[in-house]
Amino acid sequence: MTEQARLDIRDLRKSFGAVKATQGVNLSVRAGELHALIGPNGAGKTTLLSQIGGEIMPDGGSIVLDGRDITHMPAQKRPAAGLARSFQISQVYPEFTVEDNAAMAVQAHMPGGFNLWRNARRDARLREPARRALERAGLGHRLDERVANLAHGEKRQLELAMALCMDATLLLLDEPMAGLGAEESLRMAALLRELKGQYAILLVEHDMDIVFSLADRVTVLVYGKTIFTGTPDEVRAHPEVRAAYLGEEDTSVGVNQ
Amino acid sequence: MTRKTIINAIGLLLFALAPLIAAATGKTFLVSLCTQFAIYALAAVSLDLILGYGALISFGHSAFFALGGYTVGIVGFHMSQGDTLLGWAGSHSALVVWPLAVIVAALVGLVIGFLSLRTSGVQFIMITLAFSQMVYFILVGLMVYGGDDGLAIDARNTLPGINLASPDVFYYTCLALMALWMVLCRRIVHSPFGMALRGLKQNTRRSVGLGYAPLRYRITAFVLSAAGTGLAGALWANYALFVSPDMATWQKSGEFMSMVILGGMGSIFGPVAGTVVYLGLEQATTAFTEHWMLIMGPVLVLVVLFGKRGIYGWLTGGKYHD
Repeated sequence: MTEQARLDIRDLRKSFGAVKATQGVNLSVRAGELHALIGPNGAGKTTLLSQIGGEIMPDGGSIVLDGRDITHMPAQKRPAAGLARSFQISQVYPEFTVEDNAAMAVQAHMPGGFNLWRNARRDARLREPARRALERAGLGHRLDERVANLAHGEKRQLELAMALCMDATLLLLDEPMAGLGAEESLRMAALLRELKGQYAILLVEHDMDIVFSLADRVTVLVYGKTIFTGTPDEVRAHPEVRAAYLGEEDTSVGVNQ
Repeated sequence: MTRKTIINAIGLLLFALAPLIAAATGKTFLVSLCTQFAIYALAAVSLDLILGYGALISFGHSAFFALGGYTVGIVGFHMSQGDTLLGWAGSHSALVVWPLAVIVAALVGLVIGFLSLRTSGVQFIMITLAFSQMVYFILVGLMVYGGDDGLAIDARNTLPGINLASPDVFYYTCLALMALWMVLCRRIVHSPFGMALRGLKQNTRRSVGLGYAPLRYRITAFVLSAAGTGLAGALWANYALFVSPDMATWQKSGEFMSMVILGGMGSIFGPVAGTVVYLGLEQATTAFTEHWMLIMGPVLVLVVLFGKRGIYGWLTGGKYHD
């Protein structure tokens, strides 16, 4: 199992003063797997993603990506190791156009990114992959729009398109559905379903319907600890998970919206 | 033709025709004033490269201006003592001295940038200010080169086939260098490097998440900016035939910054417009009051409050610069 794991996290720990945000997380994401990470608010999901992304350095434990220890690698080097991250609150370039934004994600891993002379906006090597990813994310009709003018849902789509431009093997998606309308959520879910199998995906999501319908495996995080990993059915049936997260009485729907 | 193209063309035409207008109207001081415009604009465009496109608020750019000027001054001083650079007789050529001034400013920019770009925000402003104050006091302490009183320069540098001693010719030389630098900066801000720099300005977290290493881009931009400012300093020394520690004061850094803000940050033509208005207004108002800052101050406040994109943004319309 370890051989085919894209991402392998062992006994990860992180404290902020007296607050133990991460206390012994074990998690592995296999190649081509959509792995959901769920847990109540404050369980440390985003803190965990930030440690995988390199924004926060863990106190102990290890993070291995494609067999390579990236525990202490600086954040800006991790994309080259195969990691792409989308943020819970859309992180985009507001003054640039939609196409510029995606092209920035292409440029980051292209040789010649330090060129001071060529016109970046007329470079097909940057623009074509950007357009393809935007088309895929459903933004093909908004290429020349300033990102500041985009609706919230479109920014989420853009964020995902940028992750697709990054030539990654592992996608970390932090609540891609957050704040989306019903229709936009459906479109995003369809896109995630399409991406499934092509990338290893670690998905943090509060919408339990989506999690249980999309995920191959689900890991439950409570108070900074991974308490269970299993298929959606196993998770739904697990008594400890029900007590900790899904609510003792109500077992059918997620309560943490 | 867009409104922007028309504005740029009119501006360029006015700059190009300035000596003719001056000759026709008999107001010869116009050439001298326009030379100041071109030199300061060169510095302002350089500062805008990091201020407008990188959000790096350097409050120490006067240091590079002074270093460029003192390179010309010090070489000139030794020439007049009968020395040469490495025994070479052509040491008074602009082709040697001006690139040397640029290199000196760029190297010092590399050191200052390397140390100060580890900080950001207010700390960055204070550190760049501190470095420029260091340069100021070093220049004051250089008694050999006049210390506090500054250093007079015997003659302008020479260019083969071009008589820099003529005010008109010197003006066109400054104008050509300013235009060249603007073309260069325009290419830079639209290049992959420039896009990365502007990306870091808009959202550093996103850029790091995509794999951009901020320091590499920022330090390169800082050095380029220092180099351009150094060239402006070298031209100023040739224009005024005098350099003094006043070139390195924090007030000078503030002037550069005011020009950029007044004209419009994050555009290549904006700082030029800002320079013209700033120096023009100074010239016009000092005629009847020495407290001309009483007029300039409110104008700056109004521009910052109501026209964040400056005079150039107001002239060209639209919501964005590029």
